Amino acid sequence: MVPQVTLQAPLKLPPHAVTDHLKQLWEHPGEGYNGSATFTLVVWEPAWLEQHLARLGLLQDAVMGMQRPCLVDAARRAIGAYGLPSATAPLSSTLAQTLATQSGENGRYDDLRGQAIDNSISELQPHRMITLAPTIAADQPLDALVAAYCSLPEDNSPGGSVCGDVLVLRGGAASIATELDLLPQWIPTQLPCWVLWEGALGEHTDIFERLAAAQRRLIVDTALGETEPSLRILAQRIAASQAVSDLNWYRLGSWRESLARAFDAQDRRAALNHVVQVDIDVEGDQLCQGLLLAAWIASRLQWSLQTGRRQQDSSVYRFQRPDGFMVDLRLVSVPVGFPKPHAGSILGLRLLCRPPDGKELCAVLCGEASGCMRLEGGDISSRDLVEEIVPLMEGSLEVQETRVLAGGHDTTNPLLATTAQLADQMLAATAASET
Amino acid sequence: MAATLTNPLRVGLRQERVIPPQCLIIFGASGDLTHRKLIPALFELFLQRRLSSEFAVLGCARRPWSDEVFRQTMAERLQPTVSANPQAWEQFSQGLFYEPVDLQQPEHLARLAQRLEQVDRQRATRGERTFYLSVSPAFYGSGARALAGAGLLADRQRSRLVIEKPFGTDYASAQQLNRVVKSCGQENQLFRIDHYLGKETVQNIMVLRFANSIFEPLWNRNHISSVQITAAETVGVEQRASYYEKSGALKDMVQNHLTQMLALTAMEPPGRFEPESIRNEKAKVLQAAHLASPEQPWTCCVRGQYGSGGTAEHPLASYRHEPGVDPDSITETYVAVKLFIDNWRWQGVPFYLRTGKHLAKRLSEVALTFRDAPVRLFDAAAGGVSANQFVIRIQPDEGATFRFEVKAPGSGMRSRPISMDFSYDESFGEPSDEGYVRLLADAMLGDPTLFTRSDEVEAAWRLYTPILEGLKQSPDKFPAHPYEAGTWGPAESDELLARDGLLWRRP
Repeated sequence: MVPQVTLQAPLKLPPHAVTDHLKQLWEHPGEGYNGSATFTLVVWEPAWLEQHLARLGLLQDAVMGMQRPCLVDAARRAIGAYGLPSATAPLSSTLAQTLATQSGENGRYDDLRGQAIDNSISELQPHRMITLAPTIAADQPLDALVAAYCSLPEDNSPGGSVCGDVLVLRGGAASIATELDLLPQWIPTQLPCWVLWEGALGEHTDIFERLAAAQRRLIVDTALGETEPSLRILAQRIAASQAVSDLNWYRLGSWRESLARAFDAQDRRAALNHVVQVDIDVEGDQLCQGLLLAAWIASRLQWSLQTGRRQQDSSVYRFQRPDGFMVDLRLVSVPVGFPKPHAGSILGLRLLCRPPDGKELCAVLCGEASGCMRLEGGDISSRDLVEEIVPLMEGSLEVQETRVLAGGHDTTNPLLATTAQLADQMLAATAASET
Repeated sequence: MAATLTNPLRVGLRQERVIPPQCLIIFGASGDLTHRKLIPALFELFLQRRLSSEFAVLGCARRPWSDEVFRQTMAERLQPTVSANPQAWEQFSQGLFYEPVDLQQPEHLARLAQRLEQVDRQRATRGERTFYLSVSPAFYGSGARALAGAGLLADRQRSRLVIEKPFGTDYASAQQLNRVVKSCGQENQLFRIDHYLGKETVQNIMVLRFANSIFEPLWNRNHISSVQITAAETVGVEQRASYYEKSGALKDMVQNHLTQMLALTAMEPPGRFEPESIRNEKAKVLQAAHLASPEQPWTCCVRGQYGSGGTAEHPLASYRHEPGVDPDSITETYVAVKLFIDNWRWQGVPFYLRTGKHLAKRLSEVALTFRDAPVRLFDAAAGGVSANQFVIRIQPDEGATFRFEVKAPGSGMRSRPISMDFSYDESFGEPSDEGYVRLLADAMLGDPTLFTRSDEVEAAWRLYTPILEGLKQSPDKFPAHPYEAGTWGPAESDELLARDGLLWRRP
């Protein structure tokens, strides 16, 4: 889908003049324009990878801060061009970090971050979109760009124009940080405010802390950073009663649905009380998705975590079932030749149930694109086998963001809350075993 | 260890369609439907996290209640659900508001518009509004006009109007009401509720037919010999005598619920799963349907009225002895009709519809009977070969059954019927939502798929017009045959099928 661009050219202003300008923008006495009464969206949009690819001439397009197919394609080409292992996920921080070490200014590019708005988001008619767009040139001075934005009227609706505005702060991260004190003036208190952190969790923590104030609703993506800080921060924010959504959790949707489906049949439900072993394969060594899936299963089945330890390519956790039996859960990092865009995607899952007086039941879930021969080994044919193919989750990052924004909640989904806490404990258990 | 009753992995997975911020305005908020169906459905949606936090309900009625009285009243009437979820109710009820409104008073509408602006600001509901007319059907037209007059339906994208059944009392009144409401808003803003369409199993008729390649090739006159659609109740008229006396079973059940089941069973596959594609096909099949004998409708319609029955321990009073019923009432509590559909798919296949109160069993189902095998090679163990049947059970024990012949064990080659069964309870790890949960959610999402369009409503009324006119002009030809409460209806209904060599199912 072609992103919508603001209809008027953004006005470049000094940051301290933005507040007055925004007020003037909506002061049309008699016309009744107050801007749409929807929500404010504050986006931290570093787009490091996109900027570096454009800088090096590997992306022949403007930087938009969107997860577009051309970005993923360019990233895959860069992985080959710079000799990274083919198992490197295109949108992982590894590639961006590698490109950051490469010198060169081969590409000239426009920076349209914050000005190009994905249709799925603009259809929600945000009252205000504030984009913080840090540049890879850390010393770049700050530009503030402001533009009004009205969605085009549809179907001759006489309901009147619903308008919003966009504000972009573009410059070095340090210069953005110096102006963050102005942010509260730009966020109307009577409307909900979302903070969409499109960077890695654990990066620019000072800015993160100031943006993600407790009363604001936070959207993060634990696939974008390292495992440990991502899950730790997610769990901390949820524990502090902040409303948090994790886009990585949404990506797990088809896995959770498929596993639930395998046990929908009445005669299999009892088997869930007798799980003895779980194996989860993930792409690469970013373990957030794997840990979230494991913690979701464990929390739904009311298992309590006993121990965790890291082995060469895997982490092994021991849980206790409510009836006292032990369950071993193994999370294995598997290198793949053509990884999915995000690091740490699930490849497959095997869950073995051993009822005391019945035949063993083995549920195997295989990713649609990957197969899971490894999990199909081990003489599973002698057991009652339930096998499901898990479809790829459809929809871009922006579509997932839209789902969160469209059905806004001011509390964290209880399933995610429980899961994130347990996933964090699992991570802590493996860390403790190493010390 | 005992089997788990529900699948613990299922919990919380149904969140794919979150209702965007908006205000639901209920007219008739002090009435029964509000606390029996609407607020419980909304609270269920809230518990499932399918309502946005920016959500408000504005109850409107003539009573001079305050917000607090409305909240308190709902809390009392929703027990014990509220006590089981005190924190959730506390949070949910913060979004409940009340405004005394008489829709016939223009100044009340002006005040309502102001209050809505205020609620919009207070709850950030983005100007999205769903108006729900839970008022007497006599006020549907004037209510819609009042809302339109106050400019509250002017925004075609962000305002919707939900209208309860019955939509009209006959073809002419339905046409007139359609003219009125369509002058107040666009068709895409209008949501005419038929709560049967909210049932998971009714929706499943479409999925069974159009998601499986095994059924559709058989789903036509070449393979199906007849179709029976039944909605049987074990209860009597209960507290609804004043309404029921005027409507009877034909208007209360057949014209809407059973006809919707007929439409879903008989419609052609839509080109796309889009609201208008589906509603086009439903309207088309209803327009092609007609009574088996429109000129002599009394030959294809049997009316009945329950007499006394039951047992010595549990006696059941006759309809005419129910409170509020005229002792000489000729209102039907049972009706059976025979229809045909004039199109390539169904030409010559009879559709039998029946519904009644105080019948032997509570059930709703669609049963398709297949033609006999062209050559009979085997004797049946029980004397006669049973026709293959496919039965979609709407309620209770939701699911489907396929009945076919197999070899009876033993040295001979005799056949006997067996059933292959699918049960929702057995197959899925969670219970289905109540119909109003689904329909309210869809209306607020602006999805009209499960709501009846104006041409569907009119086609459904037109289908039964020969009976309704016959009842006015020659009531003697449509006697309400008595039947004993607790049985499967009057003998005349059995004769309707016996003339075609068939029997009603007695499941």
